[in-house]
Amino acid sequence: MTTVTSWTAANSRRLAREERRRRLGPLGVLTHVALLIWTLLVMVPILWTFLASVKSEDEIFGDAWSLPATLRWDNFARAWEQAHIGQYMLNSVIVVAFSTFGTMLVGSMAAYVLARYPFRGNRAIYLLFVSGLAFPVYLALTPLFFVVQNLGNLPVIGPFIGLNTHAGIVLVYIAYSMPFTVFFLSAFFRTLPTAVGEAAMVDGASHTRVFFQIMLPMARPGIISITIFNILGQWNQYQLPLVLLQERDKWVLTQGISDVSTAAGYDQDWSALFAALTIAILPMLVVYTLFQRQIQSGLTSGALK
Amino acid sequence: MIFNRYRRGLFIISFLAAPVMLYLVYVISPYLQAFYIAMTDWRGVTATPTFIGLDNFVRLFGDETFWKAVTHNVLLLVLLPLITIVIALFFAFLLNVGGAQGVTGIRGSKIYRVVFFFPQVLAVAVVAVLFQQVFRPDGSGMLNGPLMALGVSPIGFLSDPQVAFWSVLGVMVWQAVGFYVVLFSAGLASIPRDMFEAAQIDGAGRMSLFFRVTLPLLWDTVQVAWVYLGILALDVFAIVWVMTDQHGGPDWSTTVMAAEIYRNAFQYSRFGYASALGVVMFVFTVGFAILSLRLSRRERIEY
Amino acid sequence: MPHTPHISRRELLRGAALVPVAGALAACATPAAPPAATSSSAPVATSAANPLGVPADKPLEVWIFDGGFGQDYATGIHQPLFKSKYPNVEIKHNSTKEITKVLQPRFAGGNPPEVIDNSGANFMDFGALAQDSQLQDLTALLDAPSWDDPNTKVRDTIDQSVIDIGTYDGKFSVLGYVNYIHGIWYSQKAFRDNQWQIPKTWDEFLALCETIKKSGKMAPFTYAGKFPQYLYEPLLTMAAKIGGNEVLVNIDNLEDGAWTAEPMKTAATAWAEVGAKYLMQGTTGLDHIQTQTAQNKYRVAMLPSGSWLENEQKSTTPADFEYGMFPIPDVTGSDKLPYGTLHTQPGENFIVSAKSPNPQAGMEYLRAMLSKKAAGDFSELVRTLTVVKGASEGRKNSPGVESASKAITEAGANVVYYRWNNWYGPLKDEGVAATGELMAGRLSPDKYLERMQKKADEIKNDSSIKKYQRS
Repeated sequence: MTTVTSWTAANSRRLAREERRRRLGPLGVLTHVALLIWTLLVMVPILWTFLASVKSEDEIFGDAWSLPATLRWDNFARAWEQAHIGQYMLNSVIVVAFSTFGTMLVGSMAAYVLARYPFRGNRAIYLLFVSGLAFPVYLALTPLFFVVQNLGNLPVIGPFIGLNTHAGIVLVYIAYSMPFTVFFLSAFFRTLPTAVGEAAMVDGASHTRVFFQIMLPMARPGIISITIFNILGQWNQYQLPLVLLQERDKWVLTQGISDVSTAAGYDQDWSALFAALTIAILPMLVVYTLFQRQIQSGLTSGALK
Repeated sequence: MIFNRYRRGLFIISFLAAPVMLYLVYVISPYLQAFYIAMTDWRGVTATPTFIGLDNFVRLFGDETFWKAVTHNVLLLVLLPLITIVIALFFAFLLNVGGAQGVTGIRGSKIYRVVFFFPQVLAVAVVAVLFQQVFRPDGSGMLNGPLMALGVSPIGFLSDPQVAFWSVLGVMVWQAVGFYVVLFSAGLASIPRDMFEAAQIDGAGRMSLFFRVTLPLLWDTVQVAWVYLGILALDVFAIVWVMTDQHGGPDWSTTVMAAEIYRNAFQYSRFGYASALGVVMFVFTVGFAILSLRLSRRERIEY
Repeated sequence: MPHTPHISRRELLRGAALVPVAGALAACATPAAPPAATSSSAPVATSAANPLGVPADKPLEVWIFDGGFGQDYATGIHQPLFKSKYPNVEIKHNSTKEITKVLQPRFAGGNPPEVIDNSGANFMDFGALAQDSQLQDLTALLDAPSWDDPNTKVRDTIDQSVIDIGTYDGKFSVLGYVNYIHGIWYSQKAFRDNQWQIPKTWDEFLALCETIKKSGKMAPFTYAGKFPQYLYEPLLTMAAKIGGNEVLVNIDNLEDGAWTAEPMKTAATAWAEVGAKYLMQGTTGLDHIQTQTAQNKYRVAMLPSGSWLENEQKSTTPADFEYGMFPIPDVTGSDKLPYGTLHTQPGENFIVSAKSPNPQAGMEYLRAMLSKKAAGDFSELVRTLTVVKGASEGRKNSPGVESASKAITEAGANVVYYRWNNWYGPLKDEGVAATGELMAGRLSPDKYLERMQKKADEIKNDSSIKKYQRS
């Protein structure tokens, strides 16, 4: 690009801007004001939390908008170690990694078969899955607790999938993610062309191979959407772990944060609470900002299907 | 041929076995048991709960706290979708067709969209704790601090029963709007540009552009949003349980069905009664689903 | 994440119709019998050295409520003492601030831990536990020789009210370890500096509030507005003082009209006046720590609390603050109970789970706690009296403990208590909600009591809730 063209480009951009301003007049300004107001509404509470996370106890209970005299990074150390936020975060990562992977594997298998293989009972199974979309989870909570409890008494595998086990809650997450995953992905598999798969079958590929090597790659956009959907949904779960994980060292982040907020009342360690909140919020915002395009399109296309 | 059929059958079974098993064990069987437990006086431990028929349901008719909770859910069901959709539509419109000549996006729309979406990626429990602090009733609260500096007496965002419910609603709207801005933006993006241009050539102003072109074309998306937000309003739990005083207070002013179910089950150990409340919640949720399907024209799943 | 119910009504109903069929195949998991307690399999012989028959090497799980007293007393005092006698018993120590959230599911699941300090704002409903036969009968503990002296039974080392209050269904099953003494707490230094006098009558109390308010130095009164149970305590104690112990007995027994009785009206009206005139600004939104810290900063003069207060506030209390407490003043001039009447309640309630693997060791743990050494060390560490008679004699006591033990000596036999809040969880929650409204002026005293009476009647008529009686 030469200087001349870039000058022209800049110039024309400026002209366009002036043109726009002339046409929009005060209304355009108002538009920006409205958008800015909401931006502030969203950002201010979050930034205020970040600010409080480096304040001392006295500063937190003093003027809400004062700046900290010195940056108290030790709040983070306390939140991470004493309040176990590090442990809870790790637990969340482990649980969500396995449960989302499991959900996608099992869910796409079911969705694929239900979408592409007509057989007696296909419709019934599909409806069984999809009907789960309308059930409030609170109804199932009590019995679910006992189901998991009793599964814990099974020989051999029991100790791994009972209450207070991460494998147990992973299985529960997978099961409760089935309705939406199957519903969305089977709709997606139906839209895929059949020709490629059929050709591979003629060449002697097995049904399983066709699924893993041909259909699954073709369904990538849908898979990504629903993966994001499930990661966010399972990461943010509060109700199920509240009931199924009672031992502190097994807790996930959402439980940890709400406990820190109770504990702060007794220990008078509010600065650690704000640090803990920051630890919970910041990584999510960073990851989201990096993948915002995929996340936004993933979530909204999931919703609109 | 027979071999192929056999292979096909085996494939279907092997692919469906795991998901169906998991689903039956963890989802379907608990729901079914809940209907039975709702007709017992089970308090959680006795091996053989007593069957008491519909007693729990008779009892819940006189349970004022529960009906308060239902009222709150219904209020949320009306207000949450309404407010969220209006705000989100407004911003989506500004972002996408609020620009030059009313048909292009506004400058910086990408950044706005990213920021608006932030609350959506935060866990509800985290948001609840965050706003507990924002709403603190003294000068150290993010909102009351400036208010008191201005000489206004502090607002009991969470401690005044007349205000607390609106605080809950406000936080829910705060968290939801971003998602629907993006959702509606996606909807708007799929509307051909010449529709707007044509309308403009016909001399349509911004207002009529919105009501005569944008809204009708987005109507399907708005309906989807309404159903989502409705379910969200019926299902609300974490925000109330974590954020409000006395888990749904003060004075039951913010309690919701899910909180009452949880309270009765895991605090009063009235598992039978809690399940009966769960059945009522189930009826409401399914009722809402049926109603909204009936009102909308989307009678079938398209595929 | 939102769910999408995009299915037609017909399909939904068809789906629902299929559900029962599938359910029949699903794992049947509704109330299975809890795993048989292994404890019964091999009873260990009892002996003079081991009166409760504790197995020598079976682990013991202990859960401590990590609140005002922290948990150091358990790991630093009680557990070493227990270990000194049973070196091979592994103690699994745990602590939490939310007992119910953490442990209720374990009870429901039939695998509860042995020893639980069931305390804090979210303790488990004792009534429900008793009804489900979850509580170990501690009579054997009472009849065992005490840790210190083989010739004295444990029963004789503690106050009789502890046994009365801890008895459910005729079985002593809850051990209140700490003797909580309720009253109005203040800073002796602040009162001295300002020449404020301890009020002996309610009129003097109101006059004092007025004086403090006018002085502009601090607000007269506050309470933990987020947890209005801190306020129904002095209200009920006042009603008992006016109308006698039977006021509280009737409330506990869910008698008709117990809440709307005349002494309750007087007490509710008196406190509503305090709520209307003398509360620190913002009280309703503050929790106990925030209000207590405000008192430490001399922003408010008085608040109702119990003898755990001094310890709870130790990190924010100025060195010369000097906690003190006074009893509910005389109200009518013809109060049934004399000046000095106190509400004392054994608190920090320890239970042993009947269905835990090793209840014998659980009881033995309590026996160790009730030794003079354990109780005395405890009092010194956490600045609170225990129920063990004479355990803190000859020890260095803090001003708050000193003031409280003086009050308890003066009260003599004039002590009252109530149990409805432990027996009936839903009634307690209603009390919490309604008392907040009374103090905020949104409920009149009459309406307040009517509301409580209505809830009490509801519970009385609810056949699914087990009822308790006391005298």
